[in-house]
Order: sequence, then C-alpha cells, then structure tokens
Amino acid sequence: MRLPEKGCALCEATWGDYWEEVEGQRMFFCCDICATEFKNIVREVKAHTGWKNIDEIRMTGDYRGRDCSALNADRKYTFFIRFDSKGEIQTFKEVPTPR
Amino acid sequence: MKCPTCGTGFDSNDFDALGKHFYAEALRSDGRHVMWLNRNITKNKTDATALSGLFERFFALGSGGLQGWVKRRFIEKFYGPRPHPFVSALQNPSRGTLLGYVVEHQHFLRQWVRSCSFIMARTDETEVVMYELDNINTEFGGAGPDRPSHYELLLRMGESLGLDRTKVLATPPLPDTKDAIRVWDDICQDYHWVEAMVAMHGLELIANRNLRKEGASVHYFDPEILKTGQVTDATKAFLREGYEADVGHSEEALDLAAKFAGRLGVVDDVQATFMRSIDAFDNYLMARLERGKQFETA
Repeated sequence: MRLPEKGCALCEATWGDYWEEVEGQRMFFCCDICATEFKNIVREVKAHTGWKNIDEIRMTGDYRGRDCSALNADRKYTFFIRFDSKGEIQTFKEVPTPR
Repeated sequence: MKCPTCGTGFDSNDFDALGKHFYAEALRSDGRHVMWLNRNITKNKTDATALSGLFERFFALGSGGLQGWVKRRFIEKFYGPRPHPFVSALQNPSRGTLLGYVVEHQHFLRQWVRSCSFIMARTDETEVVMYELDNINTEFGGAGPDRPSHYELLLRMGESLGLDRTKVLATPPLPDTKDAIRVWDDICQDYHWVEAMVAMHGLELIANRNLRKEGASVHYFDPEILKTGQVTDATKAFLREGYEADVGHSEEALDLAAKFAGRLGVVDDVQATFMRSIDAFDNYLMARLERGKQFETA
C-alpha cells in the first residue's frame, strides 16, 4: 500500500513512535488511536468493495471526519468516515464516485 | 501550571517542564498527548526546547487578557473555517439533530447544576455565589410558569418533535457524553473553583452571538429560524433562550474568573483546564450528532 511520504499513515503527524503491521506491511503511526482508525478503514473498505488489497487511501479532513478515496488499480471507492474518541467507526458513508 | 491533557502539575509558567513532559509522552506515543499536540500545537515533531517555545506562545494571553484568550481558543476549536459538525448541522437542523440535542443535553444540564453547585460550595466570593445561583435558576430551576428553565424548554422541544419526556429521561447517555460528564465532574470537585468556573461557563460561549464579531465563522444556529416556520415553536423557545442568555452568562463568568484568577495566581491552571474542558465538549457535541442519527433512521 502506498503511504504518505512521511509521518503517520493516517494523519501524517511526525510525533510518536508506534508501529504496526497492517496488510503485511510495517506502518508508522503517531499513536495507537490512529493505528486503530487506519485498520478500521482498511477493514471497512474491503468489506464494502470485496477487494483483496488496497493500493492507496487518500484522505482529507481531520479528526472529526475524513473524506477518503481508496484506490485499487483503476478502481476508486470514495467515502466519508468519522470515528469516536476510541478510534471506532461512528459514521461511514459511501460517496458515489463521479463518472 | 497543569498539563492540559493529564493534569500533571508544574511550577507556574514553567513551559520548559511542560514542553519536556509532552516531548517524553510523545516519544512513548501516548495517544492523548500526541493527539493534543497534533490538534493544538503542531503535527510536526520538534525537539523539547522548541516545543516549550511553542507552548509559551500558545498560552500567551495577549492584549485581551484571559477573556480574550479563552474566546480565541474556543473560536479556533468550534467556529473556525470548518465549524464543529454539530454547529454545521444546527444551521439547518433536522428533527434527528434536534432530538439528539434533547436526549444528550438533558444529561449535560443535570451535570451543569452539580458543577455550578461545586463552584458555589468551594468559593468564598459572594458575587460568584450570586452569579451561580442566577445561572442555576435560568438553566435548571426556572422562575415560575412564565419563565421556564432551559432544562424545561429542552424537554418541551423534544415533546414538540414527538419524543415524550419520560423516554428522554429514561435514556442513558452515550459513552462520549458520559466520559465528558466525568471530566467536568472531576474538574469541579477536585480543581480550583476558578478553573471550574472557566471550564464550565466558557462552554456557554457556544451560543454567544457576539462571537461572530470576534472571528467566529458562523452563529450557533441561523437566527432567521427564530422568525420562520422551519422549526416548532418549542424549538424556537429553547434556542431563543440560549441565544439571549448565553452572551451574559459567558461574558460575566469570564470577567469574574479573570479577576479572581489573577488575584489568586491560577491563570495558567485555568487555561490548561479550559483546554481539557473544550476537548470533552468537542466529543460531547459529536455524541449529540451520533444520537441524532438514531432518529434519522428510525
């Protein structure tokens, strides 16, 4: 999976020193909450799309909600996601991809 | 001064110690401290010395004193270019948003009385006691049938939208509301009463319509809905009450707190505790939205 050039795989912060293996890839996170959120995103995208793997997840927004695009080869799946204060999914909304 | 995240105490204005504390917590990836840095100071790692300088700048009062600092931080968090999602939802409120407000806010208001009572119990200042008594009456006690309390108006708003008050009162709070209430209860029981005062009454800035003049991107709600038929009369009565009362409530409390915080030498503790309180408030407002979703899908 392609990740941000630097910093936390979810929020791109460069604080912290927390590492987890996600989808067979060792990833840097600033804290365990971001790791939980990222793993929840991956699980949710795979459940909705049926994809076996994800090439990249692009995100904008902040801790109150993120607009995301998951990419797999030439396929794109867009959604909005919001987490509670423990990193569990509170809102997940599929956003139709413009054609 | 205190850590705004965990409450660890340091000497007054010892930003070196605060910077080193956060740096050490970030090194061990403590989620609460790292998230606080990301959201309030910077997402880019610095060394401990530079971090101390950033903290000093963050807590500098500026020309507006403690009142101005509190308002500035509140506006940044809730009324910046991307207002809090609950504030955005309240610009054009759905039935679900309003019912989410009712169900979670009745828990908030019950805690409110406890919080104000702790402040009264722990201060010797008569003007603070008088302020809190007036506030409790407005928010919870009411002043006879012609002046129902904010709490009563909230329950009436729920009834006007088809939700019986017995159901509202029987519904336990969502976890984020419960956690926030615990934060406020701890602050009001254990921290200095001036800290408690700003932690609680600083939250009334949410409905302070004067914040627009001080840089807020929107009002708490669009005041035009008080004139149209978009919402029920009971909803208008509830929103109007906060719209009219919370300017005075928040401004008067901040003036009192600024006076006593300076006199008692607790300004930086007040600032740290206020930050802790608005973090809890942020989560609590999200809980209102979360509850509201249950009514949208019902």
